Amino acid sequence: MADYTLTATPPLAGVDRSFGDLSLKAPADLALVSIALPLGAEDKVLKAIKTAYGAELPDAGKSVLSKDGTVRLVRLGADQAMVIFTHATPDAEPTVQAKLKGTAYTTDQTDVWVGLELSGPTSRDALHRICPLDIHPDAFAVNDSARTVMEHLGTLLIRTGDDTYLLLSASSSAKSFLHAMETSAQNIS
Amino acid sequence: MSQINRVKGGLIDRSTPMNFTFNGKSMQGFAGDTLASALLANGQRLVGRSFKYHRPRGIFSAGSEEPNALVQLRSGAHQEPNTRATVAELFDGLTATSQNHRGSLEFDLMALTDYASPFLSAGFYYKTFMWPKALWEKFYEPVIRSSAGLGRLSMDEDPDIYDKGFLHCDLLVIGAGPSGISAALAAGRSGARVILADEDFAPGGRLNAETLEVDGMSGADWATQALAELAAMDNVQIMTRTTIYGSYDHGVYGALERCTDHLASSNGKPRQILWRIYSKRAVLAAGSTERPIAFGNNDRPGVMLAGAVRTYVNRFGATPGQQVAVFTNNDDGWRTAADLAAKGVNVTAIIDSRDKPAVCDVPGARHIRNAAVRDTAGRKGLKSVTLTDDQIIDCDCLAVSGGWNPNVHLTCHQRGRPEWRDDISAFVPGGTLPVGMAVAGAANGALTLGAALAEGRAIANQQIKDLGFTASRKAAPKAEDEAFECSPMWHVGESIKRAWLDLQNDVTVKDVKLSHREGFRSVELLKRYTTLGMATDQGKTANIPALAVMAECTGKTIPETGTTIFRPPYTPVPLGALGGRARGHDFRPTRLTPSHEWAKANGASFVTVGNWMRAEWYTRPGEKGWRDSVDREALNTRTNVGICDVTTLGKIDVQGKDAAEFLNKVYSNAFAKLAVGKVRYGLMLREDGICYDDGTTARMSENHFVMTTTTANAVLVFRRLEFARQCLWPNMDVHLISTTDGWAQFAVAGPKSRDLLRKIVDEDTDLSNEGFPFMGCAEVTVCGGTPARLFRISFSGELAFEIAVPARFGNSMMEVLNKAGEEFGAAPYGTEALGVMRIEKGHVTANELNGQTTAQNIGLGMMVSQKKECIGNVLSQRPEMVGDDLRLMGFRPVDHSLDVIAGSHFITKGDEANMANDQGWMTSTAWSPNLGHSIGLGFIKRGNERIGEVVRAVSPVHGKEMEVEIVSAHFIDPEGERLRG
Amino acid sequence: MIINHPLLGPRDAAEFIYLGDASLIDRPDWQAEDAAAKFYEYGYLRDNPAGQHQELWYHEQGDRSWLVVTRNTLTHEITKVELARDVARTRGRDK
Repeated sequence: MADYTLTATPPLAGVDRSFGDLSLKAPADLALVSIALPLGAEDKVLKAIKTAYGAELPDAGKSVLSKDGTVRLVRLGADQAMVIFTHATPDAEPTVQAKLKGTAYTTDQTDVWVGLELSGPTSRDALHRICPLDIHPDAFAVNDSARTVMEHLGTLLIRTGDDTYLLLSASSSAKSFLHAMETSAQNIS
Repeated sequence: MSQINRVKGGLIDRSTPMNFTFNGKSMQGFAGDTLASALLANGQRLVGRSFKYHRPRGIFSAGSEEPNALVQLRSGAHQEPNTRATVAELFDGLTATSQNHRGSLEFDLMALTDYASPFLSAGFYYKTFMWPKALWEKFYEPVIRSSAGLGRLSMDEDPDIYDKGFLHCDLLVIGAGPSGISAALAAGRSGARVILADEDFAPGGRLNAETLEVDGMSGADWATQALAELAAMDNVQIMTRTTIYGSYDHGVYGALERCTDHLASSNGKPRQILWRIYSKRAVLAAGSTERPIAFGNNDRPGVMLAGAVRTYVNRFGATPGQQVAVFTNNDDGWRTAADLAAKGVNVTAIIDSRDKPAVCDVPGARHIRNAAVRDTAGRKGLKSVTLTDDQIIDCDCLAVSGGWNPNVHLTCHQRGRPEWRDDISAFVPGGTLPVGMAVAGAANGALTLGAALAEGRAIANQQIKDLGFTASRKAAPKAEDEAFECSPMWHVGESIKRAWLDLQNDVTVKDVKLSHREGFRSVELLKRYTTLGMATDQGKTANIPALAVMAECTGKTIPETGTTIFRPPYTPVPLGALGGRARGHDFRPTRLTPSHEWAKANGASFVTVGNWMRAEWYTRPGEKGWRDSVDREALNTRTNVGICDVTTLGKIDVQGKDAAEFLNKVYSNAFAKLAVGKVRYGLMLREDGICYDDGTTARMSENHFVMTTTTANAVLVFRRLEFARQCLWPNMDVHLISTTDGWAQFAVAGPKSRDLLRKIVDEDTDLSNEGFPFMGCAEVTVCGGTPARLFRISFSGELAFEIAVPARFGNSMMEVLNKAGEEFGAAPYGTEALGVMRIEKGHVTANELNGQTTAQNIGLGMMVSQKKECIGNVLSQRPEMVGDDLRLMGFRPVDHSLDVIAGSHFITKGDEANMANDQGWMTSTAWSPNLGHSIGLGFIKRGNERIGEVVRAVSPVHGKEMEVEIVSAHFIDPEGERLRG
Repeated sequence: MIINHPLLGPRDAAEFIYLGDASLIDRPDWQAEDAAAKFYEYGYLRDNPAGQHQELWYHEQGDRSWLVVTRNTLTHEITKVELARDVARTRGRDK
């Protein structure tokens, strides 16, 4: 039995704030695993994903939910994707690796990023203050995703619902990220 | 003073009075007034003093082109100088003051400057104050600065907040006048995403200022109705109080929205927002600006643009005078006279420079044909005008119309070059317009209402058809085309007194003639010589008349003379808005290490490294200065065990079948055969052979490596690796992903580090020297099952490990390591002690890898393989680089009581200290608590052959020098026994 | 400026890092007889055309792809955007 135990203190744990009709919260136990598609063996990964999650890996800039709705697959680029799900223990990467039966290169990204969920009827107004992308409901549909830069912070934006967005940014600058999001929510009247 | 100049009608709300003060005097206006219209309503004609000569000045225009009526708004830290009264929206409680005078506005002591005007002609700075040179900085410049100039800053920090934002649209319509509204209606009805932006708080443009009708109703009513239709469309966004100030590449526009300038308080919301608007197409419907005619003393309060006079009477229900004369060279000036008369204002005369019958009937007004104004009288406000035939006409306001200039500004922001159109005597958009932009209405030279409305619709339809939308069939709004014939006249030659062209910069017709005489004849030189067209109005009313005068001097036509072009911004943009949120701590993001909270609670002082904040040392009770803490930390690490958060080093996950081969190409030393479970130091070169970055890379499994980079180069190395992967070796199966933030990594260094780790790392890992040798690595678990990575690497030179846990456990890990280490005397150390120990070991950092040094210089020449393809190895063999004999060495002062100085240059003893005798320089220095004296690292020629030699270390910057002995760069444990133990 | 990314669509140039002439893809053969001279040219000699230019941009705040952007240096008109990896392959980079 070990004499010492480690306590997890994710930077934005417990953030849950409202600004008028907007809510900003940090989803609990958000697990992230990146998957890289081996050169020449991409088809095997795509097949493994289909088997494991019951969904096709979409094109870059899109995401899709697994058949059971618990896992989101985001295509980041030609040979890279991200698996997002809820998972409390620090073993998200082996979990995905096992599901994909070793067909893809996987890297745990859970602690590389922090997540904030922005939702409410004015969520787009708040995003207009920091997000350079065209987020018009038709231009950026539900499940669309994009990486961009907001307030000097690299951010992955995913539209998870009509007025709901999941934003991921680097964990070391979590407080600046939270501040940027809070300011945006605050500044819209 | 009551509102003596109010007339009936207008778009003001007389049921909502607004109290304000001007120079401390209480006045009242109404909702819908600008400060200018309220001042005029109150009979306040004198509002400021001119920039150079301190001449009395009044309100000249009714819009953003205003050159004269610059005022200071608000007070205290909110004070804002140089605000144009003509665009400042009145609110209850507004305080405004005039600027640029000493003593009161009425009795400006500096007005004497005006009598010195013969000595203050254009270019006087260049001529007068050249000699004696020494007086410039101490005397001339301060005096000129305090006498010339505009408003004053509060000198307090701006208490307002500003924001930025991004908007996207299919069609951006710039200006909500007749053509802009017509364009927005057409595009909006087709379903396109439209943004309609207007600088005014009441969109409508000239429709609000004229008595013309559209579709059988008043122009203002039609605008209100059209705007209501647009506001009801989901696909249309109307932005009022928003100036599109710049046109940038690929349909990007800059916009400044003034959100709370019309309110007494911002209430914690952004005062202004700087928007970046991405448009697929744009319609510039910016309208036109009236131009004056220059004549003697044409700058007195009461001399105004005719269209502005009309605006004040029609839109604001305020007449600028009780007895108004009109001076015009075109039909449009007549409408001012007619509108004034219709409001019951006494129009004394219409002075038309043309020999043409009356354009319309103006009751009570004399029509004086073929005449011009050559002089005016009235010290602080106009009393009369003198015509070219010497007759004198009494009036307290002269409405001047010299024709209208299309607002082509935004068409010039890239490659557009305006072209002259003789039929309207004005420049219209020409050359290559910004991509996606088309121009409609008065901005395009369609100066009449019917034409502007039709053109707005037609141009918008054309733009949206390009984007695949089907144009709505609804017809264009209908209006008459008013008379606008114009016969150019720029200045009245018969004037004897100074005739002002640029009211804001006090540039006269004479100044332009002087500029011509002295050879500054191109418009660009004219501008710089006379300061024409500079400052807040950017010459919106001045430029064209001035270059017409220049054309006259040179005997060329106006188009031959050319025009200055315009750069952004169209109107001034406050620096606060350009800065947005990026102030103070928000200037850039802050990155915190995982153990930041623990460090803060344990006496850490922090240093900024890029965006990171790192603990530089941990102060303990009783320590008097930073050296006490740093010495203790460095000594303790070499004696017991020290713990340092090294998370900031870049970590890159490298995976793939070709990962090993890839690393072999990006590092100068061999990596292909690194065994699984081993770490290797790697040196990266630039392609030119210079050292780029260094770090360690661990092979976690056959196809999986973990690379570390220096903190500063983490992003750059990643970028280079992606370049190598995608552009140089595109068929390798190798994948990169950054994990810098994902792992909290700690150096655990010192003779007792192994003992400490045995308490943390779960028992199944053998930490003995045999089981986990130097440069070993493994995936382990700690504290009962938490996954971790363990590396046996050492930057301090001691027996050392680096242990990494998922970042969420980082703060806890720091606490646990210190707690478990208590029995071994464990203590945290910061970047300073880290630096001391690396200098003691002769390890290089950015001081040595400064972008000028080679692997040979730092003693690692043997590492650069010539047996494989890798970045930098070919050019590293250039003779100039191979022949470079600078070597990294250690240096210690001969007199141990002295501190060596970083940046000192080495000179061989007996040689003179000059550049020719330079032998090298000191790169890094530290006090070594382990050796008890100061030490340094540095590059010196043939250093490896000169161990034991004493040289001079000279620092002319500090005015100091000392003798230093050349020693090995490895001050401590040169054989490396400690780190292998 | 707006760069029309072949996979992700139009993106603000602020998301990208500029490197320079796309000839940097054509890294010389390190084993050639004249490798030293070739690398010297590769490292230091560039055309600087006033007009069409093929240049390398890196989508750092995006999918981290390197792009070859054909841009007119006079007008900033962008006529073509390709994945640099594809360009490198067609230019015969065999590894």
